[in-house]
Amino acid sequence: MLTNALLAALAVFICFAGNYLTGQSMMERPLVVGLVTGLLMGDMRTGILMGASLEAIFLGNVNIGGVIAAEPVTASVISTTFAITSGVSTSAALTLAIPVGMLAAFVVMFLKNVFMNIFAPVLDKIAREGKEKQIVALHYGTWIIYYVIISSISFIGIYAGSGPVNEFVKTIPQNVMNGLNAAGGLLPAVGFAMLMKLLWDNKLAVYYLLGFILTAYVKLPAVAVAALGIVICVAVAQSEIRFNKMASEGVAGSANKTAMTAEEEEEDFFS
Amino acid sequence: MKYTQNLSPDERKMMRSVFWRSWTMNASRTGATQYHALGVIYTLLPVINKFYKTKEDRAEAIVRHTTWFNATMHINNFIMGLVASMEKKNSEDPDFDTSSITAVKASLMGPLSGIGDSFFWGILRVVAAGIGISLASTGSPLGAIVFLLLYNIPAFIIHYYALYGGYSVGANFIERMYESGGMKILTKVSSILGLMMMGSMTASNVKFQTILQVSVKGSKEAMKIQTYLDQLFIGIVPLAVTLVSFWLIRNKKVNVNWVMLGIMVLGIILGMCGIC
Repeated sequence: MLTNALLAALAVFICFAGNYLTGQSMMERPLVVGLVTGLLMGDMRTGILMGASLEAIFLGNVNIGGVIAAEPVTASVISTTFAITSGVSTSAALTLAIPVGMLAAFVVMFLKNVFMNIFAPVLDKIAREGKEKQIVALHYGTWIIYYVIISSISFIGIYAGSGPVNEFVKTIPQNVMNGLNAAGGLLPAVGFAMLMKLLWDNKLAVYYLLGFILTAYVKLPAVAVAALGIVICVAVAQSEIRFNKMASEGVAGSANKTAMTAEEEEEDFFS
Repeated sequence: MKYTQNLSPDERKMMRSVFWRSWTMNASRTGATQYHALGVIYTLLPVINKFYKTKEDRAEAIVRHTTWFNATMHINNFIMGLVASMEKKNSEDPDFDTSSITAVKASLMGPLSGIGDSFFWGILRVVAAGIGISLASTGSPLGAIVFLLLYNIPAFIIHYYALYGGYSVGANFIERMYESGGMKILTKVSSILGLMMMGSMTASNVKFQTILQVSVKGSKEAMKIQTYLDQLFIGIVPLAVTLVSFWLIRNKKVNVNWVMLGIMVLGIILGMCGIC
């Protein structure tokens, strides 16, 4: 169990800390975290499948303005580790990811907004003195400290949690387990709902339906839907640009006719 | 590479250093009052060292950047480029008002992040994840790799041009983009693409299957309710659950965690009633 706990912490550090060192390259997304955890735990396939399901659940969990509802890295690593090492079914492990993610998000928010404040006076001091070497050291030092603490959440979670979780899962009756599986299937809905909030426009809502139908009925793969979407985008952009041009010419044209009376304008409107 | 043509070899070297440092801009943490200020200073150190000669001037420039900074990765490089050009001007012109540097940072952070968040998080990542998930669902490691490539290749290009663009074009670029209406079109088409991918992913990733059966008199086989649901509209339950969640979050301002909890409770109830 100690090895698993250490490997889990390592997976969090690689993905989470690595993500921020490489310009938020999305290594922190469950799709990648699942693969990395699977590789470390020796069951790549389960890791990848968990990653794919978790990615859909956490898709809407975007880290905008520093506010997060759930922390996907710790959630993905812990639930994938349980799925691989303790024989919990993948769907049950998926539902486990939600509370773990929320708990981890709470810890992360506290860390980054409150705890890390202890380094703020340090920066102020070395900035005033213009000590560049210390600035570089602080930059990478706080990076290491911050992500080592976050990784230790997973270490503790796996080290202390595996036994109780296994016992608990064994006592869950079958129909509740079925219900948890159903919940696992429906949970990605929340992720999409959150993202749609970002993109939604009542006039553009039909495109959401189009995407749904193309996949549910026409059974197009995601690549084909994306390619078709790009075609539609180019067509719309072209007509919008033409419309903009016409509108600006129209404005220029009507400027010449400012002498037009209200009646004439009305006639013009109805003709 | 039209942006690099006007730069002296020294400046080119400085900008290259800024470019590589800028990838780690969001890595360090010094709390909520500074956010990524330390990363900004680290990124701008080559600029400060090149344009300011005395230790006092350098310290003053560093202190200037200890203010709160947080903007979407990649697009934040545009601000870095802009700030670098302003620091250069400041070092040449003694009448330059240094508060304008802080003002530019503070005023551009919000609008640029607005565009950046919806583009990088809402569209680019979603399209990449959609394709990645469909590959990974077959158990292939290609899913994660394709996802990373699809996201990072465009991100790298934007990261590069944002920095050099900011350094050479200046602040009125964004204004011109808004005035010409180009921004509106860009927002619209990216929303279209994003929503289409959302719809596609709702269909492939939100799953529901009922085991409920109704026995009918005179018929040997029990009728599966799922068959009827599928005849009505394939995926009607996932679509309904997604739209209700969306309505709760957007129109009713319900906390996301409550919606998640609600779905989990709903699932358990469905399971206990023998529906799933």
